[in-house]
Amino acid sequence: MRSGLCFDGVAIAGIGMVRFGMLREVPINHLARDAGLLALHDAGMTLADIDEAFVGYIQPASMLGIKAMKELGLTGLPVTHIENASATGLVAFREAAWAVSSGRADVAMALGFDKFTDMTRQSGRGAGRDQIDAPILPAAYFALWAQRRMYERGTTAEQFATIAAKNWNYGAACPTAHRRPDHVVTAAEVLGARMVAEPLTTMMCCPPDDGAACIIVARDDLVRARQPDRTLVRAVASSLQSESYAPGHTFVGPVVGPASMTRSAAEECYEAAALGPDDIDVAYCHDAFANEELEYYELLGFCPEGDAEALLADGSTGPGGRIPFNTDGGLLARGHPGGPTGLAMIHEAVLQLRGQADGRQVDGARVALAHLVGGGSVATVNLLQADR
Amino acid sequence: MARVPIEAGFFRIPDDPDELPRLLGSRCPACAEVFFPRRLVCAGCLHEGTDDVDLATRGRIHTWTYCHVPMFGRSDVEVAGYGVGQVDLIDGPRVQSILVGGPEDLAIGLEVEIGLETLRTEPSGDDVVIYRFRPVGLAAGASS
Repeated sequence: MRSGLCFDGVAIAGIGMVRFGMLREVPINHLARDAGLLALHDAGMTLADIDEAFVGYIQPASMLGIKAMKELGLTGLPVTHIENASATGLVAFREAAWAVSSGRADVAMALGFDKFTDMTRQSGRGAGRDQIDAPILPAAYFALWAQRRMYERGTTAEQFATIAAKNWNYGAACPTAHRRPDHVVTAAEVLGARMVAEPLTTMMCCPPDDGAACIIVARDDLVRARQPDRTLVRAVASSLQSESYAPGHTFVGPVVGPASMTRSAAEECYEAAALGPDDIDVAYCHDAFANEELEYYELLGFCPEGDAEALLADGSTGPGGRIPFNTDGGLLARGHPGGPTGLAMIHEAVLQLRGQADGRQVDGARVALAHLVGGGSVATVNLLQADR
Repeated sequence: MARVPIEAGFFRIPDDPDELPRLLGSRCPACAEVFFPRRLVCAGCLHEGTDDVDLATRGRIHTWTYCHVPMFGRSDVEVAGYGVGQVDLIDGPRVQSILVGGPEDLAIGLEVEIGLETLRTEPSGDDVVIYRFRPVGLAAGASS
């Protein structure tokens, strides 16, 4: 098994996203079109410049990507569908970056979109109910992880709530976030929200979302020539892993996957990039549920095992801290439609590395990490670096 | 009326209602690892071909939670909440399952025993059932 990729000469050419939310009235093709056009405009390109596209969504419908791409024009370009649950967007990004790195494309597009409101309307509660794992709420599986940590480490619900409050407050400063509170959210407010699965309240769980996001990558010399005045942001490295067997593995249910998968994917990505946690200035992780972010502080190598609570307590992962996490609000506040989620992460990471993240800018950010897990399960870690 | 499994191939429903249901597992003849559900290839050593086994009826709670929103398969039934857990069976596999009892009845390390839960009754009169685990010694009338 080998999953670490080091990209050679790949830079971000353009970024675009539609603000996530419950966008019931907007057709899914239009979400995809609008994100795609924003990215093309940001790159100063049209679809004629794109050699290859990778389209990601988790809706149970075939060829939706082709239909969405037609909204941007019909140029005959190769289009490949990518689906890796919540990690879909980052995997589409990884494939686009590799297409350029490998030399088969000069310019590649990663486009992600999804409509949770369509999925719930189509399926309704109880759909797929004749499956062994249907009766259990997905949130429960992440709550199981939270409860285990509380048992092993003495972690408190208030610590999970502190992470959620941080990300809600980051969301307030991000124009493309779904949840933009009009007041400072406190841990007490998060704890007081309706309980979903103990210890997770609604405010510790990501919202269901509709949305779309698009990233265009290209040969660095092409990007530099087209955008001489902009900070060049490189796609540096990527890793993607599925699960490795260990006793205690659960095969039935919306499987979260073993925590070790994230640790191992991170180590592979660091090795491929010849970078480490100390080099990283800003990080994005799968904070669909608040307890996850705490775990990833350790699994991504930002602190030793058992020290995540201390890292949180000293503000290291918040505004002005050593390693701010999820500066756009993360899945908790920016939102989590599925397919576009990882591309929204890259969107925010690129804004940070360009120095354009108004109101939430990490001073001097040069290296960004984007991590997602996809239930079932996979983990992916991706690194971006600004030339400066 | 018959009891039918929510999905075939995962557990056996005994004819005698006093008998416990059994989860259907596999044991690798090469490395002795035990799995739920059944599989052909050993996930650990990759040996092809496993032996069918009925899994243990008891285990201990590895972790648990209590959900306060309606359970998916029971949208037609009002439920106040329900427990969910991972159970380490005596013979090895970790199984995710609905748990019987309220939050006050559940704890990591607690011994639990398998049983069946009726999710719904079909128009034919058949009861659609799923396995769940109940803390050993919890009163029979405790809510699920």
